[in-house]
Amino acid sequence: MSAAATQGSHSLAFRVMRLCRPSFQIANPLRVDPLDLFVGEDIFDDSAAAAQIPRLLQQNHLTKPTESDLTYRHRFELRNPSDAMGLSGLLMLPQSFGAIYLGETFCSYISINNSSSFEVRDITIKAEIQTEKQRILLLDTSKSPVETIRAGGRYDFIVEHDVKELGAHTLVCTALYNDGEGEKKYLPQFFKFIVANPLSVRTKVRAVKENTFLEACLENHTKSNLYMDQVEFEPTQNWSVKVLKADEHHSETNFKNREIFKPPVLIRAGGGTHNYLYQLISSTPGSTQVKIDGSNVLGKLQITWRTNLGEPGRLQTQQILGSPITHKEIELQIVEVPSVIVLERPFLVRINLTNQTDQKMGPFQVCLQGDPSEERAVMINGLQAVVLPQLEASSSTEFILNLIAIRLGVQKIAGIKVLDARDNKIYDTLADLEIFVDSD
Amino acid sequence: MEVEHESKREDDEHETLTLDPLSNQFANLNDLCFEFTSLQDLAFRGSWRSILDKIARARKLSLLQKPHEDLIYLAYSVLALTKLHRYTEAAEELDSMLDFDSPRYRYESYPEIYPNRCGSMVPFAIRWLNAEIPLKLGRRQESLDRLYVLLDFVRVRLRERESRGSELGFCVDVWRKREAFVVYSIASHHLSNKEFVVCLELIQGLVRQDSANAELLSRLGYVQVQVGDLEGAKSTFGEVERLMKEGNLGENEFRNLVGRNKALVYLIGKDYVSAVREYDECIERDPTDVVAINNKALCLMYLRDLSDSIKVLESALERVPTFALNEAIVVNLCSMYELAFVNHSEIKRTLSNWIARVAPDDFDSSSTRV
Repeated sequence: MSAAATQGSHSLAFRVMRLCRPSFQIANPLRVDPLDLFVGEDIFDDSAAAAQIPRLLQQNHLTKPTESDLTYRHRFELRNPSDAMGLSGLLMLPQSFGAIYLGETFCSYISINNSSSFEVRDITIKAEIQTEKQRILLLDTSKSPVETIRAGGRYDFIVEHDVKELGAHTLVCTALYNDGEGEKKYLPQFFKFIVANPLSVRTKVRAVKENTFLEACLENHTKSNLYMDQVEFEPTQNWSVKVLKADEHHSETNFKNREIFKPPVLIRAGGGTHNYLYQLISSTPGSTQVKIDGSNVLGKLQITWRTNLGEPGRLQTQQILGSPITHKEIELQIVEVPSVIVLERPFLVRINLTNQTDQKMGPFQVCLQGDPSEERAVMINGLQAVVLPQLEASSSTEFILNLIAIRLGVQKIAGIKVLDARDNKIYDTLADLEIFVDSD
Repeated sequence: MEVEHESKREDDEHETLTLDPLSNQFANLNDLCFEFTSLQDLAFRGSWRSILDKIARARKLSLLQKPHEDLIYLAYSVLALTKLHRYTEAAEELDSMLDFDSPRYRYESYPEIYPNRCGSMVPFAIRWLNAEIPLKLGRRQESLDRLYVLLDFVRVRLRERESRGSELGFCVDVWRKREAFVVYSIASHHLSNKEFVVCLELIQGLVRQDSANAELLSRLGYVQVQVGDLEGAKSTFGEVERLMKEGNLGENEFRNLVGRNKALVYLIGKDYVSAVREYDECIERDPTDVVAINNKALCLMYLRDLSDSIKVLESALERVPTFALNEAIVVNLCSMYELAFVNHSEIKRTLSNWIARVAPDDFDSSSTRV
């Protein structure tokens, strides 16, 4: 894999080979056990045959051929059934440049060959990566040039570069040298490659009751399966995170209960996806939402993966946002609900009323409002409205509401609103709360 | 004189009787099948074209007297054709057969030839080759289907014999090996298609049945490494090492297996120097360990020593050609030549010519990319 030398006759030429990790040879060996080939499959039902035939064969195929064995019998006879898998552990060099993705490390073997019949002297070699945005120097021997490369000789080096940009990249190799005739020559060679995006990440933020969940779906755009090493969510200061995983249905106990085989998380090549679920817990106690105007920054995902023979890659997403918070002036929140609620027996609920404005507000009225045709399962017991006095700016108060449930099972406390006592303007509705109503 | 002659004949009869109480059939390999040792010898040398010639001659001159010999020659024919990439002809040979379970292929159908013998005389390899051929002709799914059907077939036979008790010990072993062989064949196809999760599950299934099999466990490790599950692989290799120590598997072969696994762990950690050291120990113990030789050469390349990596492979081809002449090693060597030499076609042609003289008939000569 190399571009031809540019114009003029050069004594030197660059040869380049991408040096990503090797892969195992996967062969299809076409080897058979002799006992499967030269006798009928049922012959060993006869115990005499079972005794005689292997002896005749001297079971030679079961012993490893030694150095003195000059046959190719190992390409024909199967010694161990597992040989049929074609995975001997033999490694192969990468056969082509392949695709290269953001987050991977580009590694290349570069060899400068002197194909002329004369010695070449004082070689200054440079290798750099050029992209749209920048040039990154990988190697520069100008401070200590290579003294000489003999006729037919070589100078080798390996370069590495963490790929952090998308799009067109050029590996530029240059050699400034004195050729056999003492002429100063300059050889530039260019090797182009394109960096593509390996993954796309789609996120969804959901608030369920008092919890915030982040669902991340990763899609693999590469040509290999990706082994997901780590997919971690790094929250901002206001949050802490818990990974949620499905229950393991079966623990594969392996190696006589010593180890548990965890099937690896592998995202299939060319469009395979995998979902991750995180629960975000607010670190400021007592509130489920950060009270910041505008957007709600949750954090970012750190993703590390591996491809063949553990070739690593890593990426970080941009900041993931929760839903924007609307700033409430007056807010109602449940503080305490009894753990046991019995049908048709009154129960008390403690509620917090907060004035988030910078002015005195109120007086207020708290009552049950909503669709009159809808039969509510939970009603206010006694006086249908609770009147609360004015509240100073940025302060809060707590009050008790007496409720009663008229239906069994899972029900909702819903429709409780706080209004302005004078003009009946609705300030806030208490968020629906599910309760369980027991029988007597 | 006459008296002497008679007693000599009696002695001969005595000898034959003690060799095989049932019949005259197992005195030597050629009794099992017409000119068997010659067939086997050609197969060892990789002379598959000569095998086809021999089979053609035997058929033309009707030299095969017994039905089981026809089947064995057919098996060798299909195998030879497959090895020579002549897949359509191999398929035609198989198609010329009746249903494998036909009574024509059972011993009891010929009581005059096989007194007291019953069962199928079809060599198992024919069933297996019949399953593998569609893939070679581009019909991958059909091969997988046939292999799974074959696996069921093997398992039924295995259970039948297991239930018959201890007198069939060797026979049960043979069918168990066949079961493993079919599973491994299926796994190799999934591997070729990069269906690694399925492959891992298949191997896991085998490990559950045969947890002390160091070779099997090592292969599990290789699949884990290929996939990128390095932690899983390390623990698997640790288990192989433990098996070797506990089970006193002290032979060089197992020592080398453990050594190569250790080297692999160093390699994936990019500690190529330590990997080379481990591979050197393996090569010292067993100079025919071409996996160690090849992988060492690759490590030298990653250590920027292209010249020595070429030398390691060339020296192996010179020293132990019948072991080192392997398509993958040739491909690796040619990749190195292409990197090392601007005018690499000449050196590749030299290699290619040497291969043409020395290699077996089934060697894939396109490996040199000349």
